[in-house]
Amino acid sequence: MTAPDPDRLTDLGKRLDEIQTKQAGRAQRPPPNQSGIAFRFATELVAGLIVGGGLGWGVDWLLGHFGFHTRPVFLILFFVLGAAAGIRNVVRAAAEINAEIARTRSDKENGS
Amino acid sequence: MNLNPMEQFAVKPIFGLDKPLLHIGSHPIFFTNQALLMVIVAVASALFLSLAVKPGALVPSRSQSMAELSYEFVANMIHSATGEDGLKFFPFVFTLFIFVLCSNFFGMVPGSFTVTSQIAVTLALACLVIGLVIVTGFMKHGFGFLKLFVPHAPWYLLILLIPIEVISFLTRPISLSVRLFANMLAGHTMLAVFGGFVVALGSAGGALSILSVAPMLLIVAIMLLELLVAFLQAYVFAILTCIYLNEALHLHDHH
Repeated sequence: MTAPDPDRLTDLGKRLDEIQTKQAGRAQRPPPNQSGIAFRFATELVAGLIVGGGLGWGVDWLLGHFGFHTRPVFLILFFVLGAAAGIRNVVRAAAEINAEIARTRSDKENGS
Repeated sequence: MNLNPMEQFAVKPIFGLDKPLLHIGSHPIFFTNQALLMVIVAVASALFLSLAVKPGALVPSRSQSMAELSYEFVANMIHSATGEDGLKFFPFVFTLFIFVLCSNFFGMVPGSFTVTSQIAVTLALACLVIGLVIVTGFMKHGFGFLKLFVPHAPWYLLILLIPIEVISFLTRPISLSVRLFANMLAGHTMLAVFGGFVVALGSAGGALSILSVAPMLLIVAIMLLELLVAFLQAYVFAILTCIYLNEALHLHDHH
């Protein structure tokens, strides 16, 4: 085996660097599919309701222990707050997905 | 024929170990099929990764390049989501990703058990993530971490907005765990239901038996889809971990 030609090696290195910088901007993430997005929104919304309702129920239960019979005031209040938090989560998730789609689109335009 | 598609998710003691291994307080602890699968996943992935990189060859073999690719994949993911200083969480995120991925894939082996189809497992993992996020946030910013819950708004709206932000933060472990658990549960139930069709049609006799090929072919397609879901869900779990860590590290205002 002969020693490799240094000029060819540096040339190869240069080409590899070029390809790598080209690919670096491109995110390696798999594209979000439709059902995945729908499922994500559904879980965010339901999770808000569950956590809100659970918190309210817990507060009522705790206050009941100290002799304040507030049930179901906090359950209703936190359920509504939980619904708001769920919608907040969905809006945030939608903004993230929009940003990701915009990023992949601009990558495509720049890349090819 | 009575085939219950939910039977595959039953957690039960194995090896005839009907007596509990030990007691914590008065609560009995059993060695179940779920525990066995978790041990298998942990040992198999640790053994594979450490044996694969052992040769340390410059031109990697197939197994070594698999290990290196998964390393680079996770490292890139953390870097793009959290930046340079998120890389110190690499061991945590990598372990989490490999554990969830291997659990999902081992669950695809017919007759085995899917650890990630149990809400107890996924919720424990999600609570671990959120616990780490909270600890990191307080260690890095002290009580300034609480600014995460205060959006830019007039004070009279803050009364309403702060509880909403706190609840929104608390929903994270729920949505993180439910997403993984529900995906695995739905996929495996669907496979079992279609498997039931094959048996029912096949044992019906006559021309109906020939029809049982149709759900069989469908199972092959769903199996492929489930392999994709297994990877995708592990990826989603890991990337969301990175996103939450990023928030704790940089307190990015996301309003």
